[in-house]
Amino acid sequence: MTRTPITEADLHARADGQLVPERAAEVDDEARRDPALAGRLAEIRSQNAWLRSGLDSLLDDSPPQRLREAARGPGNRLRRLASRLTSVRAVRYAPAWTAAATLVIGIAAGWYGRDAVLARAGMPITFAQQMAYAHVLYASDPNRPVEMWAPDEKRLVAWLSKRLDYPLRAPDLESAGYALVGGRLVAGNARPTAMFVYENAAKERLTLQARKSTSADEAAFRYAVADGVGVFYWIDDHCAYALAGDLDRSQLLTIGELVYKQLAEAGGKG
Amino acid sequence: MADAPLPEDDLVAAIPRLRRYARVLTGDPTRADDLVQETLARAWEKRRLWAAGSDLRAWMFTIMHNLFVNQRAQAARDARNVSIDDDGDGTGALQLPVAASQHVRVELIEVLRELARLPAEQREVLVLAGVEEMRYEEIAQVLAIPVGTVMSRLSRAREKLRRSMAETAGAPRATSNGTLQRLR
Repeated sequence: MTRTPITEADLHARADGQLVPERAAEVDDEARRDPALAGRLAEIRSQNAWLRSGLDSLLDDSPPQRLREAARGPGNRLRRLASRLTSVRAVRYAPAWTAAATLVIGIAAGWYGRDAVLARAGMPITFAQQMAYAHVLYASDPNRPVEMWAPDEKRLVAWLSKRLDYPLRAPDLESAGYALVGGRLVAGNARPTAMFVYENAAKERLTLQARKSTSADEAAFRYAVADGVGVFYWIDDHCAYALAGDLDRSQLLTIGELVYKQLAEAGGKG
Repeated sequence: MADAPLPEDDLVAAIPRLRRYARVLTGDPTRADDLVQETLARAWEKRRLWAAGSDLRAWMFTIMHNLFVNQRAQAARDARNVSIDDDGDGTGALQLPVAASQHVRVELIEVLRELARLPAEQREVLVLAGVEEMRYEEIAQVLAIPVGTVMSRLSRAREKLRRSMAETAGAPRATSNGTLQRLR
């Protein structure tokens, strides 16, 4: 035989599938003649299979929010949301004769069209996006997400109610695992918005934003996703609300219903 | 200008693999996620050094490897000064996930325990070749060592794992209903 002897490196490369086909065939030939070699090949392959079967289960774990954000790069997410806001605003301020075109664009773009009720109620058609933007801007600040902290809840709620000219309440989300961090006032289109920030044990944050509505129209739950931020929004009793968070739709909906229920009960409509 | 040559979606998609490798390196879920977060932050800092179109996974693994090596060196220095916690070599004792809510994955625990017995250098090569299925040349680049060293480490790692598993084979293993029995 003039064959090159099978080396230790060949053995590993064969088991790992890294040999060129001709060399792989030679190793396989040799393994048919040499049970010891065949045994070692099988051993390595079963080690690999065992390692994979154990470690592959780790791939199913959904990554925590902090890693998903880190992958997007510092500040990138905010920049992207901001550029979208600008482009939508350009359409909104277009001359009246383009209104029909705007509507078409709105519907084509998907969820803008669903904001018709909010738009009639004096809300910008970009309500959900604004809410998502404010959520990312403030909730991502680890040290100072709010202007006034939860221990001052009474003063916080009184202050925000006064600024909005609407009697607000900060819902209790303890049953969903979220505690009130505090709140702040956020500038909105023409009207101020109140923001309550909540946090769970894993330091993941939710925001509930509220803005007084100009009309008596009510709107049922609507849902939008802007760059990974889920937003549920609705209008109830002359106030538009938006609940935003990095949660999937069903988790966010559960909390949204909790908020809605508490606010409705407080409003005496239970 | 907002120059962002890194493909964000690919980075997000790479997170599970980065977490898995970090878990193998550190042995601990929290330290693993800290390492992944640092790796992602470093990748953004050094994004101009990434050649667009080249293998993002290999580049990320390289960054993680370097951070891990630096951490171990730091831990070794700290150990000389303090030497209270940690186990000296900085590879970290394996910590079993014990959270009550967590589904106990017996097979995973066994694999991590066996891997924890290997020196970090051998563990890296073994997992990159056998689990990540990286080419040996690629592994050599990630770890900044010659291919020959990759092969000798791989050979030693597999021999050590074989012997260790043969030893454990006689001892009572984890039972199929998910409860763990003590080995040795």
